[in-house]
Amino acid sequence: MDYTNLRRQIISMKKSLFDQGYLDEQFNQLEELQDDSSPNFVDEVVALFFKDSSRLLTNIEQALEKYPQDFYRLDSLVYQFKGSGSSIGALRMKNECSMFKAHCNDRDLEGYRTLDDSSSIPASHSLLEQLHLIPWLTQMPPVTPEDKEGACHSEAEAGDIFSCKHKHQIKGPVST
Amino acid sequence: MASAAAERKVIRVLLVEDEEIHKVLARALLRSAVGGVELDEAGTGAEAVRRVRDGGASAGAYDLIITDGKMPVMDGHEATRRIRAMGVTTPIVGLSSDTFPSDVDAFIKAGADDFTPKPLSKEKLVRILAKFNLV
Repeated sequence: MDYTNLRRQIISMKKSLFDQGYLDEQFNQLEELQDDSSPNFVDEVVALFFKDSSRLLTNIEQALEKYPQDFYRLDSLVYQFKGSGSSIGALRMKNECSMFKAHCNDRDLEGYRTLDDSSSIPASHSLLEQLHLIPWLTQMPPVTPEDKEGACHSEAEAGDIFSCKHKHQIKGPVST
Repeated sequence: MASAAAERKVIRVLLVEDEEIHKVLARALLRSAVGGVELDEAGTGAEAVRRVRDGGASAGAYDLIITDGKMPVMDGHEATRRIRAMGVTTPIVGLSSDTFPSDVDAFIKAGADDFTPKPLSKEKLVRILAKFNLV
């Protein structure tokens, strides 16, 4: 398996989540709390978030379908969702929850529903599914000098490896 | 009480929180920020009140109480009121995702000494521990 490219892609994905405002500093806190005594801490917290969020999204959707709407229950569900998301640094989702709660307080969800689909809680949540990949960074074999040498080529460029100015030692089939 | 905790070098914390993700985070942060911590947990405000009462209210069972706001059975505001009504002066910090001034006021009026918005972080915890002379 081409761990170098996989590692690079996961790092790039993580950076993108930060750059686009989906994650904030809180996620770094989780990584700082991961150590030899808690080697799977990030994975554990992320898993708890998705366990919570799966249940809460279902409950929120069911609550939205009821009429008249139980704004107290919706507010309570979104409160839990916001808190859970904030624990992993899900910044954009936290802000979406705040906006949703404001609409609940105003007893006006029509205003929230007219927002662009990309600005919804489920949309932000689905993008965060990529977080499942991050624990792989600590589980992959360590980077070797050979990995670093081959790192200048993406899988798509593997066929051009012989034209590269760098000297490469090819071990086994070149992945495509 | 704070100096006793410092002399003891182990602080006794009661975490009042019903959601597992916040408990996992708080446990890790407390163990990271404080060399010695005895952590008790209560899943509702009612359980928190019982733990404080049964632990010996006058003896000061805890050096710090961190409590969520919304919880089933009894919320953090009511738990704070009842703990204060017992004459307990242990520092109580409200922790909540609701951060409007009215949410903060609700905790302070109930008798909490401080409030910090979720999520709990190393910086927030260090500030709290320093404020109450627990490190």
